[in-house]
Parts: sequence; structure tokens; C-alpha cells
Amino acid sequence: MPKSQIISPKVVRKPQFIEFGKIPVNQYKKSIEEEKKNYSREDFLRIYRDMVIIREFETMLNLIKTTNEYNGIAYNHPGPAHLSIGQEASAVGMAFNLDIDDYIFGSHRSHGEILAKGLSAINRLDEDNLDSIMRNYFGGTALKVVEKGFQGNIRELGIHFLLYGALAEIFARENGFNKGLGGSMHAFFTPFGIYPNNAIVGGSGDISVGAALYKKINRKPCIVVCNIGDASMGCGPVWEGICFATMDQYKTLWDGEYKGGLPLIFNFMNNLYGMGGQTMGETMGFGILARIGAGVNPESMHAERVDGYNPLAVIDAFRRKIKLLEEKKGPVLLDTLTYRISGHSPSDASSYRSKEEIEAWQKEDSITSFGGSIVSAGIVKQDHLDEIRSEASELITHILRLTVNDEISPRLDLVSDPDAIGKMMFSNGSEDKMEDREPEVLIHLEDNPRVKSLKNKERYFRDKEGKLVSRVKLYQLRDGIFEAIVDRFYKDPTLAAWGEENRDWGGAFAVYRGLTEALPYHRLFNSPISEGAIVGTAIGYGMCGGRVIAEIMYCDFLGRSGDEVFNQLPKWQAMSGNLIRMPVVIRVSVGSKYGAQHSQDWSSLTAHIPGLKVVFPATPYDAKGLMNSALQGTDPVIFFESQRIYDIGEMFHKPGVPEEYYEIPIGEPDVKRSGEDITILTIGATLYPAMNAAETLQLKYGLNAEIIDARTLVPFNYQPVIDSVKKTGRIVLASDASSRGSYLKEMAQTITELAFDQLDAPPVVIGSRNWITPAYEMEQFFFPQPDWIIDAIHQKVIPLKGHTPKYDFSTGKLILLNKNGV
Amino acid sequence: MAIPVIMPKQGQSVETCIITRWFRNKGDKVSAGDILFSYETDKAAFDMESPADGILLDIFFSEGDEVPVLMNVAVIGKTGEDTEQFLPGKAHSATETEPAAASPERVSAAEPVMTVTGSGSGDTLFRISPRAKKLAESRGLPYSNIQGSGPNGRIIVRDIEKAMAGVPDARVSITEYSTEFTDKTLSNVRRIIARAMHSSLQNSAQLTHHLSADVRRLLEARRKIKEGLSSGTEKNDITLNDMVCWCVIKALKKFPEINSHFLGEHIRFFNKIHLGLAVDTSRGLMVPAVKNADDMDLPRLSLALKMVADACRKGSISPELIQGSSASFTVSNLGNYGVEMFTPVINLPQTGILGICTIINRPVDLGNNTFGFVPYMGLSLTYDHRAIDGGPATLFLKAIKEQIENFNY
Repeated sequence: MPKSQIISPKVVRKPQFIEFGKIPVNQYKKSIEEEKKNYSREDFLRIYRDMVIIREFETMLNLIKTTNEYNGIAYNHPGPAHLSIGQEASAVGMAFNLDIDDYIFGSHRSHGEILAKGLSAINRLDEDNLDSIMRNYFGGTALKVVEKGFQGNIRELGIHFLLYGALAEIFARENGFNKGLGGSMHAFFTPFGIYPNNAIVGGSGDISVGAALYKKINRKPCIVVCNIGDASMGCGPVWEGICFATMDQYKTLWDGEYKGGLPLIFNFMNNLYGMGGQTMGETMGFGILARIGAGVNPESMHAERVDGYNPLAVIDAFRRKIKLLEEKKGPVLLDTLTYRISGHSPSDASSYRSKEEIEAWQKEDSITSFGGSIVSAGIVKQDHLDEIRSEASELITHILRLTVNDEISPRLDLVSDPDAIGKMMFSNGSEDKMEDREPEVLIHLEDNPRVKSLKNKERYFRDKEGKLVSRVKLYQLRDGIFEAIVDRFYKDPTLAAWGEENRDWGGAFAVYRGLTEALPYHRLFNSPISEGAIVGTAIGYGMCGGRVIAEIMYCDFLGRSGDEVFNQLPKWQAMSGNLIRMPVVIRVSVGSKYGAQHSQDWSSLTAHIPGLKVVFPATPYDAKGLMNSALQGTDPVIFFESQRIYDIGEMFHKPGVPEEYYEIPIGEPDVKRSGEDITILTIGATLYPAMNAAETLQLKYGLNAEIIDARTLVPFNYQPVIDSVKKTGRIVLASDASSRGSYLKEMAQTITELAFDQLDAPPVVIGSRNWITPAYEMEQFFFPQPDWIIDAIHQKVIPLKGHTPKYDFSTGKLILLNKNGV
Repeated sequence: MAIPVIMPKQGQSVETCIITRWFRNKGDKVSAGDILFSYETDKAAFDMESPADGILLDIFFSEGDEVPVLMNVAVIGKTGEDTEQFLPGKAHSATETEPAAASPERVSAAEPVMTVTGSGSGDTLFRISPRAKKLAESRGLPYSNIQGSGPNGRIIVRDIEKAMAGVPDARVSITEYSTEFTDKTLSNVRRIIARAMHSSLQNSAQLTHHLSADVRRLLEARRKIKEGLSSGTEKNDITLNDMVCWCVIKALKKFPEINSHFLGEHIRFFNKIHLGLAVDTSRGLMVPAVKNADDMDLPRLSLALKMVADACRKGSISPELIQGSSASFTVSNLGNYGVEMFTPVINLPQTGILGICTIINRPVDLGNNTFGFVPYMGLSLTYDHRAIDGGPATLFLKAIKEQIENFNY
């Protein structure tokens, strides 16, 4: 909502009609004769060869899957193989014009695209670079295998390397491009510009937008191609990615050289089926997919359907579209029409399509027809083409033999190092900045109005006389987060932040107030209401090498970014074999007062997913220190903030929150109050009700409670908690998350295991009720209250003399509540 | 890089030490200077400080274990570091004569872990928290009859603590009783005392003479000293014991044959008087010597006695001063405890020991048919008849009595 753009009723209320321009469909009509001036003989032959190699590779996999044998080599591959036999012309045509630094993203059906882009890169790289890439990748282990006894030139060696690395990855071998941890649906090789494929349909739909943002924001050359299937058009993240990629602001608000559209092609590999569902005629309504472009922006995304059965048509389209991107007119939507002869997977019985249909497409097979056309154009003789085919068969046989040999191509050794995968879950880096150049800012930090105002704030909640500082003079939790973030914006030139209302408004909860003045649009901007894409784009931005803070305004909206948070963000570091780093901080604000869909603490959900660091500070000192650590690291961090306590002052760290930079290590709980009689472990804002309960326990019952603030959920050092329990023998755990399945239960179980003999009672978990969150006026019946803590201690841990509980924490009640599912 | 914590060698003659208590557990984070464990030699007790910051990765010996000196006791390092290289070699793990003692406290008689008591309906499961159970077992306290005050009647720590504090159980039974006992391995100090006492009675010819001395002058002196202390004119808190010791020294000067060691083939007469003083400590009896006590005036003697006694109690006494051969004569004072008469045991190779008994008011003819009560202190002299005959021994005891009755300060 920038004030610079006035929305005038006079304009928007004016009667008019929307005019759609024409969207070309299969308009490529050039003959081979006409194209001879654009391609050398080698080009034609290379196009043919690349298609043949892909066909043979996929055919081999099909035979391995269906018959456990290829050319006399027996092998059983229990994992997935979503093959693209029939789609080779689309893949090769897509990759033909792409440079090394053009990135492609893929789907579950992307073997062909990987190989096509790899073959294109091998052809384009200078020999020294190619050699050094192969030699340095995981210490050259894959190269050593294919190099042995190899005779031929470096580019031919490159092809062996590519096929071996890809197949070893598919077969989960350690020499695979990602140590065998990605597999068929996630294989990638960034030195050739091949970014992750994605087993979730449409998964690349927003991640690739983030990659394009990375290129644009950091002024990197080249483009990004998002190869996804036609059926993914039905996926929310794809639509969100398209919206994110076509925001007006790139062309209206971004300044100077940053002005203009994203360098991105959404390339829908349209094989007309989503698994067995016909997108044309059954499961979607667009008829021709390119039509969608007309609904997105006035340029209709430069959408076009191109005949993906003709490699030259695809090359032609890409050549024209890349030019548009260079003119900053992107993004582009391509509907690359193709057909998958093979099943969705080898278990596909083709019950959803007729034999006649398959045969009709086989008759027009892209390899045969392209071969025929270059033979009839006199470019090559049929014998030569036959030779290319038999060479491809020999090559694939050779590569298969190397790959299935357990001695040459072993799997990751989890016997001698059972934690090998565990070591790849986090990169645990510490980087001031992700790139070394001057960060672009609009004003000096000391001139920032908020920085200036913070100079006059009291950084401890009591003044020198011990009086409570008034809220307006108080340095608050939101200020701690701001200080850490603004500091990093002036340190790391790649740092960018986006989300809903991040600019102008200053974030819905005033954490970003002061950032709009400091940062140009391309470093801080408002996103569409697209939580999936807010996180998805951050993932793409991070995996390309940028640091990013994405914001989810309410924790409750995390569900909207479920796939991104659960399936994408946590996985790519380990699935890359630990090559990719993911310096992505997702700020998630936990609400209150706004009822059932705006008040939920879902930290447990994120803590459950391996691969995420999860932080939930409850004091300004911890918030600043933990945000500093999150922004210094190279791992994905879900950073929870509670709206209840954005305005709270520092009550624990004397003499107050330091002005200078400091880090609080992620994973260390903190003793906020010392005591001997009972331990209370809290997550998030429940620290304060627990402090309140501790006062009552002390004054009324002579019980001195020790309060530990978890601060972090993952990772978590249990030692301080165990030390405390050894002392007190009793522990109560409390947080605002609904108690069923909450992370506190995990902690309670672990504490029981670690300190069973020290316990005088089972650990007691006090969470919110397993209900909808009621209105603010009834919240005291939903969220843990100091009384609940005392009542639970009385009934479950140690009966308190003279105490009459108000709430029923009996075992009978516990059984009943569970029986009723509430 | 992990480093070992070594059992130090405290004195030339020390070969093994006993770990008396661990203050930190395996896996604990420790800082340099933190006390890790305490241990004792046969003569004194010490605390072991952590030599470095880190994690207490491994502990090779438990409380009560006898550990040869210079052996690795524990390892400090970073989490995950290998400690196997520091494992003490088997050849050095125990002394030649005595196998390393296992846990010092063993509770015999198994406790039921869980029993169902009573036959009524309802929830009658026996409940005790793990922590309470552990606490009870560590004190050898039977807990199956304790009434739990926790949720559902669970026995919790406070119930055990209450039981330990001796709060009587309302339910008395003469048919249910505990057959439990606790075996406790002897500490080094206890062993040494046992050996020395037994040897003394077996290898010498001891007998004891008893006599009383009028201590009016002593009590008068003590009263003045107390007054002086409160008014500030007196600096030294000289006790009755100090005064008696001073009298003993004076008497010894007159009877040099008592100030001696009986060494089988010869008797060693000392030119100086090295006065031993029996001191009760938490680890057992110790007898430190005040060397050249005959050179001291009373205030200095008083200070010296106080210093050696304190050093024994702290465990910082020099091993050289607490051997039997350190003193030439010993004084043992049980007067404070009201003991009226006893037979002190000679600290061989010394030839005599004086027991100081309590003060009793006795009726005495004060002349002119007037009887009054006079405070008398009992004196019990044990002597080795191999070295000294009854006559000189009696005269020596009388000399002490005279010194006391004519005390002047």
C-alpha cells in the first residue's frame, strides 16, 4: 500500500472491457531448410543424440523396473522411476539455449530435463571448467569411477560423468550427485545449473520464483526455468508462485536497474495427464493450458503453446522468450505440449487411456520424426543415426554396469557411521554475510528514526530507582528483533525480507517499523497473501545463496505454507548431500485475542519435522540474541514470536538488553528463576504465567520453583533441565500449545528417560485445552493460567497444604478427556 | 583433548587412597577448581579439584574404592571424546594385599519393588516415586510401611524425609520387623586405629593408676582467663586441658624415664618433651604431637594444642605429626564427657599416657571440723610395666597432682 500510488475512484469505477491479446498455439512453422541457417550439422546431430541418450536412459530404467534386467545386467530398483519416454524433444529443446548459469527446476518426472541440461552444459563449458567441476565434486569420487579406462575427449568423459552421477543418485549410491540422498525425484547438480527436482507436484512452482528473485535482487546473470507438469496448474503453490512472480511492483515500484519483470519461465511440460487424470477434458477446465496466462497480467505472461514434439519448435520458443526476459518483460508462461508414452510409473496399467491413443502418439514419435526430417534434408544419413542409437545403448549399458556394482558404487556407509545422514541435516554454518559486497541501503543506520528513538529507551524493565518503566519508554521484545534484523541488513548484502505488510505498514506488529526508510524495494517488499509462496520463494532464494527472512503474519497461516515448511525447507540440505545451505529465517507470529484461527501455537508441528531449527524466545534479550544467531547461521530457522509479549520489557537480563551485537546459541535453555523444590519448564510466553505461579508457590506454600525457559525447541540441550530435576525431583512443563501432541510431551518423555530415578512424580504437562481457541474474554479457560500450574502440582506432584484446587487434574479426568478426544 | 584426573600422591609413604565422596556425576559440566571428589589417606582427608573446564566424561572408581596413587580416576574433556585410553590398567587397579572395596554401603535384605497390600477392593497398588525409593534405599530405610502423602497415596520424597527424621509411625507391630543391616567397609583411618590399639594391648604390659587432684586453683585461673577474655585484657583462651598439659610437662621434666619409648632391646629417653594429644575427628581418633612442648610457656602451648587439633579435624595435619613415634608422652582428655575414670591405651612405642577425667566435688575436711565440697579432677595414668615400675609411675602421677594443686599462672 505505497502512498505514491493513488487508487482513484474516477479511474477504477470507469466502465470498460478487458481485452485479451491472442495467445499463440503451435505457431512454429519453419522447415528444416529454413532452420539450416540457425543450426550447424553438429547442432542437429547433437539434438538427435541428446534425445536418444535420454530415451535410452529412461528405457533402461523402465526395463529394470519391469523386468529387473537391461542388456543382460540384472538389477532390482525398489525406488521410484517416473519416466518421460516420449518427452525427450521438450527436454532437449528447453535446454538447448540455456547457459550454465541458467537454472532449471524440475518435477518428479525430470530425468530427461536433468540429462538435457547437463548435456547442454557439457557442450557449453570450457574444458578446464568442466574438468575442474568434475574433479572437485565430492572430491572427484564419481569422476574416478568413469575415468578408469576411459578413452575419449573431456566432453565425452563429461557425458559419462553426468549419466553415472544421475543414475547413481537414482539408485541411492554414494557416488550419486547428492550422495544418493535425493534419489530419482530429487536429483540435481548445481554446477551444471540443475537445481532440485521435486517429488511434490508443483513444488518447484514457488521455489523457482525465489531463485529468480535471487538472480534479480543480487544482479546475477541469466534466467530460471521452472519445469513443472500440466496437472500442477491445479496446485495452490503454483498459482501462488505465478502471482508472486507477476506482481506489479517489479515494474512500478522497484527502482533503477531493479525495475522490471522476473527472469523466469514457467515451462509447463504438458503431457496432458496428471498421473491418470486428463487435464484437458477431465480434471481441469483450461482446455489449452496457455490460456491461463491471460488471467494473470496484461501481458498474458507472454503465454504460448509450443509443439513439444518438435525440438526445433521448443528451441525457437525459448530463444524468443529468453530475449523477453533479457528485456525485463518476464515472467513467461510456456505450454510445452508433449506426450508420455511410458506410464506414470512402471506400475501404471494405462487403464485411463486407450491403446489407440498411445499408438497414435508413437507414430509421431519425436526422435523418429526429427531423425527422419534431418535425413530427408540431407544433413545426415540414416546409418549414422542408427550408429548414434547403438552407441547410446552401449553407453547406458556401461554406466549401468558401473552403477549397480556395489564395490564400485557403494551406498552411504551407515554401518560404520550410523549418524552419517544426521550430520547432513544441518549445515551449522556461521556467516556474517552470504556474499562480500556493500549492502544497498537508503540511509545511514544512525539516521534511522527508529534506531534514534531506541537510543532513548530503557533497556531494562525497571529504572535505577527500581520503578517500572512506562511502556512508551520501554525497550520491548519487538525492538530486540528489529535491532538484530536491521543490523544484518547493514552487514549482509544478500539479506532480503518479504511477507504480508512488511513494507510501509512496518509489519502487522511493528517489528519492521523503520525498515521501509532504510531499505530499497528489492530488499524489503510486500508479498501477495500467499503464505505458500512467501516461504517457497524464500527457499529458492536461500538455496541459490541468499539470506532471507520470510514472515508468516499469524502462526495459524502456517498451514497455508504446509508443503513449503514441512516438505521443502527442511529437506534440501540433507537431500543435496549437504551441498546446499539454507539460510532462511521464517518469522512466525503466534496470536491471541482473535479466536480459533488466529491464536494457535503450532511450534510443535514444526519441531516434529526433522531439518528445521525451531526457536521461541520470550524476552527482549533472548529475542535479539537468538535472531542474531538465526541470521548468522546457514540453516532454516522457524522463529516464533508471541503477540502477547511483543511489548514486554527485559525482566531477567540485568542491566538490560545490550546495544551491541551478541548471539545466544540456538539450543540452550535458560534458567530464569532459581529454586530448589520444583522445576517449571516453559516454552514461549507461558514463562510469565509460570513466574506468577512461582511467586504464589513461594509465598503461600513455601515451595521454591526453578523456572527454565526452553528458548529453543530444536535443537535442545537437556542437560540444564536434567541438572535442575536432579536438584528438585519434580518438573512441570507449560506452554500455550494445545496439550495433545505438543512438544512438551516429547520433552516430558525425554526427561523421564533421562532422569527417571531422580523424579518424585511423573513430569506434568500443562498446555492449552484441546479445543478451538475461544474469544479473548474466555481465553483464561483455554490458555494455561498460574492457577492451573498450582492445581496440577497439587494434584499430580506434591499435595500442597491447605490448597483447594479449582481445576480437575485427576487421572480419571485425564482418561475421560482423552476418551472424548478433547 | 580429554585429560585424566589422577589420584595424587600425598606424602612419600602413601600408596593408596580411598575415594570418600563424589560431588559430580559422569556427564556433568565442570569448571577448573570445582571439587570433583574427596578422598582420604590413612591419615588425612583431601578434596580433589577439577584440573580443567569440560565435561566429566568418565569415572573409573566409585565411592569407597581404594585407588592406588597416580592412577587415573576420571576423565575430563569434550562431549564425544574417547575415554578408553585413560582406562586404568588392570595390573594397577588394586593394591597387592587388599582388593579394592566395592560400594561401601550395601543394603542387605531385598525390598519389595512393588507389592499389593490389603485385600479390599479399589486401587491398593503400592506406589513410591523413583526418587523417594532411591533416597530410602540409600539410607537403608524400609519403606514398604510408610504412608505415602503424594497423589494416589504415592510415597514421595517428603515422606521418606519425615520417616528419616524419626517421626514415630502410628502403627506399631511386634510381629513385623526389619532384618536389615548395613555393612560398611572400614575406612583407612579406622583400620589404622584398629591395628594400633590391638597391637598396643597385645604387645605391652599396661596397667593404670587412678588419682585425683584438687583443681580449685585451676578453676580460679580459668575464671580469671574468662573474665580477661570478656574485658579484653586476656588474649588467649587457655582451657583446663591446656593447663593440665602444662602441669604434665612440668612433671615429665622431673621424671625423664617416663618421657620415653620402649623399643624392645632398648629404651629411648628424649631430651625434649613431645606431647601427644588425643583428638576426636569425624574420621576417627588422631593423636597429633606438639613438638618441643617443654620450650613453650602456657599461652604458646595452648595455641599449639589448638592448632594441631584443628589441623586434624580439617584433615590438613602433616602425616609426620600423627605417627605413634611422633610424641614422647600422650594426654587423652575425656573430662568433658563426664567420664569419671578410664584406662587409656598407650600409643606405642610410648611408655605412658595420662587420661584426664571429669571434675567431681568431693567432701573434704577443711580443718576445724569443717567439711566442704572441693572440686577434684580424676587422673588415670596408664604405663608400660616393661619400661616403668609401679613406684616411679605413682610418684610421677603424684607429681602431676602437685603441679595441678600448686598451679600458678
